[in-house]
Amino acid sequence: MNDDRMDEVLGDAVRDYNAPGAVPREEMWRRIQAARGEPRRASVPAPSRSRWLWPGVGGAVAAAAVLVMGILLGRRIERVDQGRITSPTKVAATTPSVGPTADSGTDRATDSAAAAGRRDSLIERIHEQTKATDRHARQLELASRDSNDGNRAASRERDDESMRLAYRLVMLQHMAGSEAMITAFRASARRGDVDAQMARWARELLGTTRLLESSPASADPTMRRMLQDLDLVIAQIVQYASHGTTNPEELDLIERSIQTRGIMAKLRGTTPTRGRTAGT
Amino acid sequence: MGWFWTTVSSRPLLNDVTDNPRLLDRQLVARCLQGDPLAERALYDAHVDRIYRLMHRMAGEPDLAADFTQETFIRAFERLGQYRGESALATWLHSIAVSVALNGMRKVKRFRTSSEPVAAVDADERLAVQPTGFTVDLKARLHAAVDALSEKLRPVFVMHDVEGYTHEEIAGVLGIPVGTSKARLFDARTKLRVALAAFAGDHIA
Repeated sequence: MNDDRMDEVLGDAVRDYNAPGAVPREEMWRRIQAARGEPRRASVPAPSRSRWLWPGVGGAVAAAAVLVMGILLGRRIERVDQGRITSPTKVAATTPSVGPTADSGTDRATDSAAAAGRRDSLIERIHEQTKATDRHARQLELASRDSNDGNRAASRERDDESMRLAYRLVMLQHMAGSEAMITAFRASARRGDVDAQMARWARELLGTTRLLESSPASADPTMRRMLQDLDLVIAQIVQYASHGTTNPEELDLIERSIQTRGIMAKLRGTTPTRGRTAGT
Repeated sequence: MGWFWTTVSSRPLLNDVTDNPRLLDRQLVARCLQGDPLAERALYDAHVDRIYRLMHRMAGEPDLAADFTQETFIRAFERLGQYRGESALATWLHSIAVSVALNGMRKVKRFRTSSEPVAAVDADERLAVQPTGFTVDLKARLHAAVDALSEKLRPVFVMHDVEGYTHEEIAGVLGIPVGTSKARLFDARTKLRVALAAFAGDHIA
């Protein structure tokens, strides 16, 4: 072997030394962020509530975006189901209607499966949003306790205002989530397929409702009544969904509660899309 | 022997991140210090590939390389306020990286020496590997010989001959004069020649 060949071989050999593969960029970045987040939080002895509560322009915009998205998704669920169900006003466990011909029956089955897939996906997304709302409500509860324990009088007024705004945003999110859940429940009940996911979603919303009932959010009489009404209706839904029954009488009771208390009208009437805001 | 050292590009690597690196470095650092998460991510994206490559060359294992890279950026973000812009940000980051890697490898060696006595002689065993094919054996012996280089010589060799850093860059990263970097590279190559001479000689003859 001559020197040139030797150089070539050795050059290749050294380039292979501990040759790296693909760089795990995202994984390392996540770990770096996690490692940096912990000491930074630990090093801050008393975080400012006004920063921690996430109100302000950014928080309000984010909450409004979530709210509007929840409302739109809720109404899409309604449309998806109205397009599929032939008797939308009747609240009872019914079987899907059968078409006049075999072909139209097949088409309907395909449409039905596609609609069901879209609906499940939408429900999953809104469910996630309502979980986030619950987390916000719990954070606010903790912050509220801190606020009561605190003795920084100078910042109290500013913090109280931040707290009011934060609760208002959480209320708006909660109402959007509740509207979406009730809409989805009604649609599922018409088909007679109220499932475990629906029961879980309703239970979580009931927890959030009760948390907000005992919070400063219920200081506003309108909001308090709204939360009390929601509590009753959602508790009925939880009861129904948890038992896994398809009893039409129970459904009628739930529907009557929704109608007599004007739940849907109130929920929709307090959303920003109707030009009003919660608590006003 | 003409050797293979000249085959690696001598183009500077640490300053090719941007057209005007110092100015952009200072701007990026200033934004990071203001808590701008996009700037932090931009800093990471600009340097992580080269840092990871070097860490992998030094450590030889993906998990260790990832650990060292992460530690490098964690330390860098912690100490970003100490960066004065006197050197390129890449040089500053690589200084941290090499320090992290050398300390990390020391710990790994100590651990392996105390918990796995067999691993301590791994390099020697690989140097004594029986030939099964010239190229394969040469690579194995060369890699073992590089592993066996001292803590002073190995980073210089890896950075210059494997990764293609210039002596000026190596000097900046390791905090040594350029002449010292050249001398260390010369020493490293001499040791590798000695380690491979008998093996290569047998096959060349």
